[in-house]
Amino acid sequence: MSRSFYRWISPIAVLLIWELASRSGLVNALILPPPSMALADLVKLIIDGELQKALWASIYRILCGFVLAVTVGIALGALMARIRLVDLLLDPLVELLRPISPLAIFPLAILWFGIGDASKIFIIGLAASFPVILNTYAGVRSIDPNFFRASQSLGASPTEIFTSIVLPGSLPHIFTGVRLAWGISLIVIIAAEMVGATIGIGYMVLEAQQTFRTERVFAGIIVIGLLGFLTDLGFRRLRSALLPWYRET
Amino acid sequence: MGASASSESLVRLDGVALTFAGNSHRKPVEVLKGVDLEVGSGEFVSLIGPSGCGKSTLLTLVAGYLAPTSGRALFDGRAIEGPGRERMMVFQQPTLFPWLTAAENVAYGLKLRANRGACADIAAQVDHLLDLVQLTGFSHHYPVELSGGMQQRLQIARALAVDPQLLLMDEPLGALDALTRRTMQREVLRIWAETRKTILFVTHDIDEAVILSDRIYAMTPRPSTIREAVEVALPRPRHRDDPEIARLSRHLSSLLE
Repeated sequence: MSRSFYRWISPIAVLLIWELASRSGLVNALILPPPSMALADLVKLIIDGELQKALWASIYRILCGFVLAVTVGIALGALMARIRLVDLLLDPLVELLRPISPLAIFPLAILWFGIGDASKIFIIGLAASFPVILNTYAGVRSIDPNFFRASQSLGASPTEIFTSIVLPGSLPHIFTGVRLAWGISLIVIIAAEMVGATIGIGYMVLEAQQTFRTERVFAGIIVIGLLGFLTDLGFRRLRSALLPWYRET
Repeated sequence: MGASASSESLVRLDGVALTFAGNSHRKPVEVLKGVDLEVGSGEFVSLIGPSGCGKSTLLTLVAGYLAPTSGRALFDGRAIEGPGRERMMVFQQPTLFPWLTAAENVAYGLKLRANRGACADIAAQVDHLLDLVQLTGFSHHYPVELSGGMQQRLQIARALAVDPQLLLMDEPLGALDALTRRTMQREVLRIWAETRKTILFVTHDIDEAVILSDRIYAMTPRPSTIREAVEVALPRPRHRDDPEIARLSRHLSSLLE
């Protein structure tokens, strides 16, 4: 039997036991509804168009916050790594803000930006920028100093050195930072939507829990899981396409 | 410009000294002291000396990565001020850009100053250079996919691409196994003969210096200066078992003791 066959055994077994346990009345279906019910509710959500609306609201916020975090993170990380004064000025701020849970700042974000998209985009932009800053910094610092010398001798200007050495040289690290940032964005958006929102996947799950539609809670969790899994798969594909030369050591 | 004898030398160091400044934790380090050296156009000149004596530092001065603390470093009669395309460094570790293919590494310097529409021209030059260093057919390989010797040949091709007058080679064969090293010595001589470039070559291998060079500067331990300049007026190709070669090698190793 192939390896992939064995990999399917345990998830399917868990789902089967779960299904039987809640259908037989062994556990209260209100607390743990069978997976088939969650799936049926997911289909209903899609047919009604409710899922698409909630999902799009969440994805829109994630994308805006993520793009903000990646842009600001790469710029700040690279500047800090290349210019000592920028490093000295910004490093204390980064180190002070980084350990604060983004959710602790979320009430402030609502106060400043309201309960709509802006507060979520802000909080994702803030929380997801740290791994990008730190990994970009490490990436630029990891470049062999002789690369700079070689490109200088070959006639590269400071701008050309930045675009032809600094950026590609730190790209593997930057990519790691970007992937981490995406993971953080997914976590933060769900939590933020549970605390203060009127639409979105996180809001949908919380509302379902409060109205005892537990099957919908599971439907939401399935969607969140799939979103994370598929996008990370996309990131891994993107890395081998963007960095064919890179060998992990 | 006068027609004095000194104007013929491509590289000229006059009383060059270099001291790395100290700070509160470290004492200043005097690396070079009163170095006088000349490399004529088209010559193959080697620097040998005990490890850590500042041979590589001397190359970085000529490359323009560092400026001497005192004395004069001249290239083609003018003071060296920073790196330039006429003086290309070949580093000990093959400093190839890992994100570029072999052909793209060679094209890197050409593209920096290229006019638009010069692409076909660049491709032809890259092919020619890859042929010269015998890497024909490897143009689409990334550096990680090449052996150590191939990487060094590629680094030489990248340096030659911008048509420098001088190649500064910092123990370019030091990281290679003994067999590859012998082959690469012949390769370096062949490339030197075909391109008529001037070469300033650092090595700690005395035999290698004698086989390759027109002249060898033996350096003292730090603070380093030139102990003796040894002319090697023997025809090439040279063989290790030639008694004259052996005599020169013995003389040079006595200088380094």
